[in-house]
Amino acid sequence: MKPAAFEYHRPDTRPEALALLEQHGGDAKPLAGGQSLIPAMNFRLATPAVLVDLNRVGDLAYMRVDSGVLRIGAMTRHRDVERSEDVRRAAPLLFEAMPFIAHAAIRTRGTIGGSLAHADPAAELPAVMLALDATFRVESVRGAREIRATDFFTGLFGTALEPGELVTEIQIPVTPATGPRTGTAFTEFSRRHGDFALAGVAARVTTDERGTCVSARIALFGVGDRPMAAAAGARLLEGQTVSDDLLRATADATAREDIDPTGDIHASSRYRRHLAGVLTRRVVARAFERSRVTHEE
Amino acid sequence: MNLAGTFTFAGPRATVWALLHDPAVLAKALPGTKTLTLAGPGRYEGAMKVSIGPLTAAEFAVVVTLSDEIEPSHFAMQIDGKGGVGFAKGSATVDLAEGADGGTVMTYASDIQIGGRIAAVGQRLVESVGRMMMKQALDSLNAELEARVKK
Repeated sequence: MKPAAFEYHRPDTRPEALALLEQHGGDAKPLAGGQSLIPAMNFRLATPAVLVDLNRVGDLAYMRVDSGVLRIGAMTRHRDVERSEDVRRAAPLLFEAMPFIAHAAIRTRGTIGGSLAHADPAAELPAVMLALDATFRVESVRGAREIRATDFFTGLFGTALEPGELVTEIQIPVTPATGPRTGTAFTEFSRRHGDFALAGVAARVTTDERGTCVSARIALFGVGDRPMAAAAGARLLEGQTVSDDLLRATADATAREDIDPTGDIHASSRYRRHLAGVLTRRVVARAFERSRVTHEE
Repeated sequence: MNLAGTFTFAGPRATVWALLHDPAVLAKALPGTKTLTLAGPGRYEGAMKVSIGPLTAAEFAVVVTLSDEIEPSHFAMQIDGKGGVGFAKGSATVDLAEGADGGTVMTYASDIQIGGRIAAVGQRLVESVGRMMMKQALDSLNAELEARVKK
């Protein structure tokens, strides 16, 4: 299959890239790793008139930790994130999720910014960013702004990005290894490894020294038109210590109130809802376990 | 895909019935509708361009045939859409009941099959797109209804 005709630009610098995106507005798509966009173009499900290839723009791929924030350049490949010692220490949830993204060959090419801007409802990274309360730096020729992950995902493949805007950096608050006891966990279920998940869950819980939950975030994917923050489920955890009853109540509230999954040939809506509850219970339990371990290290 | 649900319109049943049969109103309400005309008794023909966020649009030629009409409470439709990337074919029923405060409660059910390339590639997204279009259409119809009721 071949794509429809398109105009191709390959700028060398960020200002050139932003100028091209501004000039072509809604007709242009930035090309990052191309692991979603190019197949969609080849199937002619996407027919952008202009591609702005970011692969020569040098200063968009980096990872560094400064003043409690893990900063990842938007063009950083999944494979580099997956192998980063900084990411393992500063954002263990992200580190745990990376191997679930597609296959190694795809991760070698695909980028963190590309995946987030694409906003596939079954993708891992958008939900991880919700659970970690990440912020995205977005730039255009008109300036830069920061958008919290909770405000970024607006619908099916829909984001708060305006025409001409580019995600340039992902900012993740560092998960503390000492001090407040924070634990994170991630899992997903798919028919085969690398397929789009039927459902997946990311969670982060912080407890005080007695093990009482002081804050919790749960995010799900594959069960809605966008990554879903499980507010009802997380609310039940706050002020409580972990128990089987608490985990069950949280999983039930999440599955019943926080999501309204669609069905397809792979899994019915009812099955996805059940699965989301089961995975939520497992992931929240593991996050609590880890919140104890991280402190004892 | 089975889209089903209820929706409460803020206006009388006869007006809702009229809106649901007015091609000009439907063309505005249904997302991506380029043209929609009454081609014969109970037969509507049109062209729709369905786009999902940044993914480009798939264009469909659509024929909707109404049947089993019991004004102002019930009708059924056959839906037949064909496009370059696939097809959509199915049936739906719509029931209108008088609700509280002069409103109208619509209960709808549908069974729509999607085939071709769009189904092969986008199967997992079809129901989300369907729900999104349904919500936009109903909200838009309700806004039109409120405007008419106020006059």
